[in-house]
Amino acid sequence: MEHTSTLEKALRGVAITCVILFFMFPIFWIVLMSFQTNETILRVPPSIIFDPTIQNYVALITGRLETSAGSLEINFMSNLWNSLFLSSASVAVGLILGVPAAYAFGRLKFRGSEDIAFTLLSFRFAPPLLVLLPLTIYFQQIGLADTYFGLIWVYQLIVLPLILWIVRGYFEDIPADIENAYRVAGHSWFSTFRKVALPLAMPGIAAAGLLAFIFAWNNFIFALVLASADKQPVTVGALAFVTASGIQYGQVAAGVVLSILPTLALALYAQRYLVEGLSLGAVKG
Amino acid sequence: MSIELSNIRKSFKDNVVLEDLSLEVATGETLVLFGPSGAGKTVLLRLIAGVVDPDEGSIRLGGQDMAGVEPEDRGIGMAFQNFALFPHMDAHANIASPLEARRSSAQEIDGRVEDVSQLLKIDHVLHHKPKELSNGQKQRTALGRALVAQPSILLLDDPLRNVDAKLRFEMRLELPRLLSSQNATVIYVTQDYKEAMALCDRIAVMSDRGIAQIGTPEEIYLTPKTIAIARLFGDPSINLLDVTPEAGEEGPYVRLSGAKVPIRNGYGQAIGKDCVLGVRPESIRFVDAAAAGAVPVTIEAETPLNEKTVTLAVTARNREILISRPATTPGPDSNDAHIVLEPDGVLLFDRETGARVETEPATAAGEAA
Amino acid sequence: MTESVLRLENIDKFYGPVGLGVHAVRDVSMEVEEGDIIALLGSSGCGKTSTLRMIAGFEETSRGKIHLAGREVQKLPPVRRHVAMAFEGYSLYPTVNVRDNIAFALKAARLPAAEVAAKVQEVAEMLEITDILDRSPNSLSGGQQQRASLARALIRDADLYLLDEPMGQLEPQLRTLLRGRIKFFIKERGMTAILVTHDQTEANALADKIAVMEEGVLQQYATPAEIKDRPANLFTGTFVGEPPMNVFPVTAAASGGRLSIALADGVVLDYAESDFAAEVRDRILTRGDVMIGVRPYAVHRSETGPTATIQANQWLGDQSHIAASFAGQTVVLVEHHRADVAIGEPISIRVDAHDLHVFDAETGMAISHGPELA
Repeated sequence: MEHTSTLEKALRGVAITCVILFFMFPIFWIVLMSFQTNETILRVPPSIIFDPTIQNYVALITGRLETSAGSLEINFMSNLWNSLFLSSASVAVGLILGVPAAYAFGRLKFRGSEDIAFTLLSFRFAPPLLVLLPLTIYFQQIGLADTYFGLIWVYQLIVLPLILWIVRGYFEDIPADIENAYRVAGHSWFSTFRKVALPLAMPGIAAAGLLAFIFAWNNFIFALVLASADKQPVTVGALAFVTASGIQYGQVAAGVVLSILPTLALALYAQRYLVEGLSLGAVKG
Repeated sequence: MSIELSNIRKSFKDNVVLEDLSLEVATGETLVLFGPSGAGKTVLLRLIAGVVDPDEGSIRLGGQDMAGVEPEDRGIGMAFQNFALFPHMDAHANIASPLEARRSSAQEIDGRVEDVSQLLKIDHVLHHKPKELSNGQKQRTALGRALVAQPSILLLDDPLRNVDAKLRFEMRLELPRLLSSQNATVIYVTQDYKEAMALCDRIAVMSDRGIAQIGTPEEIYLTPKTIAIARLFGDPSINLLDVTPEAGEEGPYVRLSGAKVPIRNGYGQAIGKDCVLGVRPESIRFVDAAAAGAVPVTIEAETPLNEKTVTLAVTARNREILISRPATTPGPDSNDAHIVLEPDGVLLFDRETGARVETEPATAAGEAA
Repeated sequence: MTESVLRLENIDKFYGPVGLGVHAVRDVSMEVEEGDIIALLGSSGCGKTSTLRMIAGFEETSRGKIHLAGREVQKLPPVRRHVAMAFEGYSLYPTVNVRDNIAFALKAARLPAAEVAAKVQEVAEMLEITDILDRSPNSLSGGQQQRASLARALIRDADLYLLDEPMGQLEPQLRTLLRGRIKFFIKERGMTAILVTHDQTEANALADKIAVMEEGVLQQYATPAEIKDRPANLFTGTFVGEPPMNVFPVTAAASGGRLSIALADGVVLDYAESDFAAEVRDRILTRGDVMIGVRPYAVHRSETGPTATIQANQWLGDQSHIAASFAGQTVVLVEHHRADVAIGEPISIRVDAHDLHVFDAETGMAISHGPELA
């Protein structure tokens, strides 16, 4: 880039810094908050100079919260475990159901395939609250309310359409002749799916799985209504910090930091698949 | 194994690609499917391979009806136009895949892959992934994959299309030997008429949803059924001139630039009809003005074309004629030259239908006597 | 002295860091005279398209200078270079129909509507696309899009026309037809054009001069006839020519007024020393091991001479291609009639001295063409 002037470079640097500040500031602030007590958090004006404390994290991990109004049981760690279990299990079920379905929608043009695929996507349009009331009643009647099984089932509303639509695009991008060649070589359609289509769509499957995991992790409303305290994920569990004696901002912040960590770790691990996967045409060439 | 197609029809939505197509290929024969793109050549191969199903008609391989038989159970070797190599497997695994499907032992697989890759001169790149292979190596890998299981039917979909001219030429010389060593029935799709003529026993020219003509290279080149077929073969392509044959004392003739050009006696039935005269550039020679049947022309341009010199000349009525000669043969001295059409190279077509006018055998024999 | 339309001065193209990335174009210098059609010919990845895109300004010139119509342009953006380009891929504006795509530049230049319409009609007739003028680009086949893109470039007023594989998507018959028309169109208007192609038939038919490229290096820049008769090195010799030139490593020796060129043990081409100029003889003999190149049409069947066994005999209507093998090597012959030889039959071959191209075995550079020095 020999015709880029120094001024241009400097301006570019400033612009990038602004963007980074804008997006990273809330996270930075939350991390700071998580190391402060409620008193230092709420002082006016706020300051970034304080005595760091790990008391919030201790409280979360030990499960006992000492406040001025007395001590409070919190089961944050079990919430975290619930989140992890619910999200992983939902994504696993979503992949097992969604990937073969995506292959069918992508490869076999059967009567009404477009309509079915669209209907599945349309689940994402409906506001969750609309379906929640009847769903709760049904679930109570058939005994699925407040079970992991029931929750994972409902989570498919979030996970399945996402996986289906992303992965389908990847299957469609694989030249059909590659699969035809494998069939003609003497392999059944199932082994073609397993040995050719699946490996080639893997970046897309990884990307879809990660996105689905994040969406499931961040879900609030389904779990709020359908899960009781011992089944609820962190998103709902965080409500416990809104206590009679006020909002425990320090613990909320620490809880947020802890609940970001698993998705962050997963995202960092899957980053290269994600980048590869989100830029289409990864299969070609 | 023989291939028999009867009354095949195939459409994609409203687009009918093949209509009432029947074709028989004998065991061990090499047949070329030739035609412009969109003529349905590739679809026909796919029907035989079983990756698409016909709307109507039957496909019989070795006498057995293939309706409902999955592609993996047809025992076919196929090379696809864009190679269709498995990108996540190395060349060895690509070639080995038909053997794996047949559950051959690892030892047998290695031996067979080794043999076929030596034959195709790719044994040094077997551990490369497709994206690390040159186009020529990809093409050979695809061919190796088709050949390795020694199938009794080979379908080759324009396998030389995406390789450079030099390799294409070398492969064209090599392929007939390679194919005959396989003892397979071969259907070979190409858009290159030279490949078509060089490789096969018979050519099936496809157009308009079906087979327009089927025959040996000689039959197709020398006696094409229609103008359209005649134009598909030869480079530069055949000269076409509107003529109306007339009756002369020594047999029928046509007028070109005022000169009377005799045509074969067998064309007597074409006298007085509106015809198109077709003559290939290599069937025209430069001659002295005094020669019998010499047509005066004016030379406009000369261009070299693959060891030939192609001359663009115009007749007195400003009709363009292309004349080709070996590059080593000297051309005419001046721009005002004379040409003759070799009588055997002159074809007549019906101007309205485009169909070739057959010579009458009896008179043709009389002429030869 | 007139200034050439385009002058490339030692241009280089690097992708990625120098030394680590790809050196796609290496020190290319050439001049294009006004009214000439130049073909950049080479296989894929040889640097021809990079060169064209540097001239157009779509790629930065890593090193060197580009002079265009008297200006130094290598740092100017494409729009200020006054060149027109037809792209290999589909580059039509998808929102307007073909007619408006073609007329785009003329309308932008505020030409009278009637004149624009006439010009569009003319170029559309030339390229056989009058029937698709009112259609939208998305509904066209690859070949139609390509012709529309070509029309859009040719209709403009520019110092230089850059055509990237302009006929790659077309059917063979249409390609043959359009070759002649495009050449006539360009010549009639005195336009200067550079065409990128991998098809040597197209290069030979269209171009006044051909620039053969391989591995980023300009191998030879000469007229089609010169490239055929006097290839500068083994690469051009074998790349241009269909079927390709036969090449053999040989050992040359002289004795008793004869010059013998041994292709293998006992397979010897024998010539009188006087068939070659003294200088050529010296150059061949001092090297000893050289490569000879013989074009297939220059290999003749004869009564005497080295023998070979027929491996293939393919008749193509107007000529026969024959492959024959001797001592593990293959020689290809072209005959302009239907050759009557069967596979397995022995033949003797003869090559005249004036058809011998001699190359240095190490560098591949031409030593002599026939009796003359390269």
